Amino acid sequence: MERLAGKIAVITGGSSGIGLATAKRFVEEGAHVVITGRREKELKEAAAAIKENVTAVVGDVARLDDLDRLYAVVKEKHGHIDVLFANAGAGTIAPLAAATEAHFDQTFDVNVKGLFFTVQKALPLFRDGGSIILTSSVSNVMGLPGFSVYAATKAAVRNFARAWTLELKDRKIRVNTMSPGPIETPALATTTGLTPEQAEQAAAQFASQVPMGRRGQPEEIAAAVTFLASNESSYITGVDLAVDGGLAQV
Amino acid sequence: MNRLNGKTAVITGGATGIGLAAAKRFIAEGAFVFIFGRRQEALDAAVADLGSNSRAVNGSVSDLADLDRLYTAVKAERGTLDIVFANAGTGSPLALGKITPEHIDETFDTNVKGTIFTVQKALPLMGKGGSIILTGSSAGTTGAPAFTAYSASKAAVRNLARTWAEDLKGTGIRVNVLSPGATATELAKEALGEEGQKAFASMTPLQRMADPAEIGAVAAFLASSDSSFMTASEVAVDGGLAQL
Repeated sequence: MERLAGKIAVITGGSSGIGLATAKRFVEEGAHVVITGRREKELKEAAAAIKENVTAVVGDVARLDDLDRLYAVVKEKHGHIDVLFANAGAGTIAPLAAATEAHFDQTFDVNVKGLFFTVQKALPLFRDGGSIILTSSVSNVMGLPGFSVYAATKAAVRNFARAWTLELKDRKIRVNTMSPGPIETPALATTTGLTPEQAEQAAAQFASQVPMGRRGQPEEIAAAVTFLASNESSYITGVDLAVDGGLAQV
Repeated sequence: MNRLNGKTAVITGGATGIGLAAAKRFIAEGAFVFIFGRRQEALDAAVADLGSNSRAVNGSVSDLADLDRLYTAVKAERGTLDIVFANAGTGSPLALGKITPEHIDETFDTNVKGTIFTVQKALPLMGKGGSIILTGSSAGTTGAPAFTAYSASKAAVRNLARTWAEDLKGTGIRVNVLSPGATATELAKEALGEEGQKAFASMTPLQRMADPAEIGAVAAFLASSDSSFMTASEVAVDGGLAQL
C-alpha cells in the first residue's frame, strides 16, 4: 500500500543522509517530493538517485529569498503542500571556551531561523490536515560536549512543535519533531569539523553508548518520518519521536 | 501493505478496545494473532470478527498460570513469537484520602506485575527482530485527579521499557511504550458519558478523542521493522494532550 499516494512533500536538506533517504521512501510510498539543498551538484545527484516524482530547487534555508524561490516553484508545479519535512541543519564542533560569534550565529541561522521561516513560508500553500515534521536531535535532551550551540538549537526546534501544534490545530495540521540518535550519514565526517580519526572515534563511542549497540541507518529514520507523514500517525501531534536506538531514552 | 507477514503476535487485553483494534491491524498487515483476555464472550466475538488468523486464550495477566497456558498455546501452534503487545490494563478513580490497599493491589497486579510477567514469560519464544510494545498512558506523565494508582502504575510501565532495553541488549528484541490519551473505546465512552467525552476532546489539541484504530496503527508501526531503530522510547498517541 502506498501510504503517501498523491501527496506533495517538501524536504529541506534533501541532498544527502536523512533527507535523501526520506525523499526516496516518500516517493516509494507514492508522493511527489520537492527537495532543496545548498550544494547544486549533490542536489542534482540526489534527484537523479530518486529518479521519479522529484523536483530539486537549490537554496539555503537561512536565506529568506531562497525559501521564497523554493515555494514559488512548489506553487507553480503542485499548487499546494501536504507534508513538510524541515530537516536542513548544521552542527560543527566548538567547545564553550573556543566558540566564536560566527559559529553561534551560523548554527542558529540554519537550525532555528531557517527552520522557522521554512515552516512559516510553507503555510499559505499548506493543505489543512497536513503533517509537518521537524528534525531535532537526541541532543535536545542530552549534554554533548563541544556541541552546546547545536544542542541548544535542537531544543528550540523541539519547542517550536509545541507552540505550532496549538497555532495550527484549527487547520488540523499536525506538527511533530523527530529526534535521531547517531546515524550513519556522511555528515559526521564531512560537516562537523572533526578530523577523520575523531569522526571514527565518535562513531565507535556512539555505537557503544546506544542500547541497540550500533548507529542507525538513514533508511530507519526515513521509515519513522514516513510514519509521521502518513495517516498512521493521525492522532500524534506535538510529540518528540526519538529514533535513537534508545540512546536518550534509558 | 504486509509489514507483518508471517509474524506471530500476542495481544493481552485483546478482546476489546485498543487491543482488538491492534489485532485487526496486525492481521490486516499479515500477522497471526493470539488475543488474551478474561471474558470468554468477548473473546469469542473478537475471534469471530478477526477471522482465521486469530486465536483466543482466556486468562488474566495477573495470574501466572494463565500466562503459562497462553504461551504454551503459542508454542504449540506457532513455535516462536515475534510481537508482544502487553496492553491489558485496569484503572478506576479513588481520590487521595479514600484509597484502599485492595485498590492499589488490584491496579498494580494487572498493570505492573501483569506486564512484567507477560513479557518475561514471552522471552523464551522470542528472538532477533522481536518487538515488545507496552501500553502506557498520558496519565503516566500528567496529573490525573483521583487516578493515583493508575497513573503511578503507568509511570512504572514507562520505566520498565528503559530497563528492559538494557536487559535485552544484544538480543535484537526492541521494547517501546505506546501511551494513548483519551481514546473512544466502548468502555471509555460508557465510563465518561457524553459530558466526559466532550471534556476530554476539548482538553486535547486535536479537539477530539482517538479512534481505537488510530492506536492500532501506531502499534503496527512499533511492531514492524519501520521502527527498527527505536527502543526504550515512549510514543505518545494522545492528540497532543500531554505534549505541550
